[in-house]
Amino acid sequence: MRKVILIGSPNSGKSLLFNRLTGMHQKVANFPGITVDMASGPMQSLPDVTIVDYPGTYSLQPISGEEEVAVEHFKHALDDPQVVHVLCLIDATRLEKSVYFMLQVIRECESHGKRVVVLANMMDILKKHQISIDLEGLAREIKAPVIGISARTGIGFNDLVESLNSDINLDEKSVDSGIAEVPDAFLRGTAHQLARRYGPKGDILIKSQTRLDDFFLHSVFGGISFFVIMYLLFQSIFTLAAPAMEGVESALGWVSDWVVPAIGSQMARDFTADALFSGIGAFLVFVPQIFVLTFVIGILEDSGYMARAALICHKPLRVFGLTGKSFIPMLSGVACAIPAIYAARSIDSPRKRLLTYMAIPLMPCSARLPVYTLLIAAFIPQVTAFGGLLGMQGLAMFAIYFFGMASGLVVTGLVSRMSEDHYADLPFVLEMPPYRIPAWQPLIRNSWNRSKHFVTKAGKIIFAVTVVVWILGYFPNFGQDLAASWLGYLGLWIEPLFAPLGLDWRYGVAVLTSFLAREVFVGTLGTMFGIEGAEENMVPLVAQIQASGLSIASGLALLVFFAIALMCVSTMAIMARESESNTLTLKLFAAYGLAAYGLAVLTYNVATLFS
Amino acid sequence: MAISLWSLKVGDRCRIECFDDTLADSYRVRVMELGFHPGEVVSCVQAPAFGAPKVYRVSNTMFSLDEEVAAHIRVVLLTANA
Repeated sequence: MRKVILIGSPNSGKSLLFNRLTGMHQKVANFPGITVDMASGPMQSLPDVTIVDYPGTYSLQPISGEEEVAVEHFKHALDDPQVVHVLCLIDATRLEKSVYFMLQVIRECESHGKRVVVLANMMDILKKHQISIDLEGLAREIKAPVIGISARTGIGFNDLVESLNSDINLDEKSVDSGIAEVPDAFLRGTAHQLARRYGPKGDILIKSQTRLDDFFLHSVFGGISFFVIMYLLFQSIFTLAAPAMEGVESALGWVSDWVVPAIGSQMARDFTADALFSGIGAFLVFVPQIFVLTFVIGILEDSGYMARAALICHKPLRVFGLTGKSFIPMLSGVACAIPAIYAARSIDSPRKRLLTYMAIPLMPCSARLPVYTLLIAAFIPQVTAFGGLLGMQGLAMFAIYFFGMASGLVVTGLVSRMSEDHYADLPFVLEMPPYRIPAWQPLIRNSWNRSKHFVTKAGKIIFAVTVVVWILGYFPNFGQDLAASWLGYLGLWIEPLFAPLGLDWRYGVAVLTSFLAREVFVGTLGTMFGIEGAEENMVPLVAQIQASGLSIASGLALLVFFAIALMCVSTMAIMARESESNTLTLKLFAAYGLAAYGLAVLTYNVATLFS
Repeated sequence: MAISLWSLKVGDRCRIECFDDTLADSYRVRVMELGFHPGEVVSCVQAPAFGAPKVYRVSNTMFSLDEEVAAHIRVVLLTANA
């Protein structure tokens, strides 16, 4: 088995090339720093070759955590005797950005006796604009093969395969470009000359890019369009996902009507109706929303707008001790905190990365969505205007999302002012990717994978918790009286803790179980209210909550509690790993838990005064 | 006369002269790696409001640099936007 390393600068199309060569589905986006972990897979056309994809980096002299990881692993991999080739991907349309890195890679590989094949990507764009580039001249200068390819269209793939097959038997001595001992400063000068001499002759920057930037980065319209785009993102969660949610509800109802009456045993029938269709079914209804959210964020990334959003946010975020680069992890945190914490690696300043870690758990992640949707549906009237574009429930969702984000900023602002700066701070340098029409197929695939991951990750926990809750609520009196069940006794025991929020024991139990995963709250309530049948998902559960006498003050207190508390075990595990600090994670868990409880009590009391 | 890159207005073109000594080495190296070499022609293409990082074009690439970096790059103005 041969290994081939794939390395390149950020946003050079590396993940797309990896997917094309391996047939795998790594996340692809038009934003620098999307690949934060290594991936590997066999090459489709050469099954004995494994391609290893490394995170993008501008240089082998790292200045960020992400680059350090990539460079360290890359240098270590060059010692592996199975590694025969290194594919160095450069952006043919912007050679000056890639050539210095390419020379560094060639120099490093030469010292390890590895062969480099340079892949000049995006040849399709050069062809489209009828712009020439002298790849043969570049190859002669660097004494390494340079192949023009397009990861998007597949141009040059045959030449690449041929190159990987043709020179595997060359010995290490044949690897000599003459730059093994060249110092960095000289290499930079050489790179500059090479880019000028052999780079594309002509203007590739599309005029439409500047025109779009004139609008999206305009001092007035830029800010307005930013807020409109963010609002539409949240409203789309309701508008676009609603038909699919109704579809899931109907399908569950049909299956339930068909399955439950056919079960002979009363206990099995109760279990299927209450634990499966009420508990898990209520959670499945929210999967379309997760899909839509991931899809819309994907559009923003792939279109190139995300980098503009980071730029717009930079100055305001600096007030809170963060950087514009924190915006991407924080926005990703709206989908899920786990990929958001990974994405924070691309923040080069360790201090700002740490502050971003603190903000991410307060971002309104998709696991909170079922809880918010349920509570908003129960307490906020369904009034709409402008053909459904503006709605009370959408505005309430916007407000609670805003509250979570604002809380994150307040925390980082306070911490950045209170704590001493142990790190040398790093300024903001961000590549502006060109605007592109999003690649719909990978976007849909990625949204599907995220939804699937959400279901499989949370589904197991929800199933286990739902079964436990059902057993506790069903025995010892076989579901005759919930208040006299084991769950009832447990709820009554902890009720004093939730009494200051105006919540009875059932909500207390649901909150406790949601510490495993927030969305469990909905399933637990479904089970606790003993809703039966298919129609027993969203609407009946909302009706039950309204009928339970829960006040709007308690509903608001619950919303605030869920907005602040750090309740996801998986997030805590990833944060401890990425920050290399169990203490930080435990401190955040305790601090956010106490703050959530205190603010919820405050909200309940204030809201009670006005209701 | 050399001025700072940050002081450019949208549409201005300049040639990079040198870097201030106060710019950290790692960042001087990084901006050079990205194409901001002494002698290179750079133009300012966007200057969003509220002191947000400005967008500069170097060859066929656009980068946004904030004041902390751009203020330390010394340039000579070639053409000013009318």
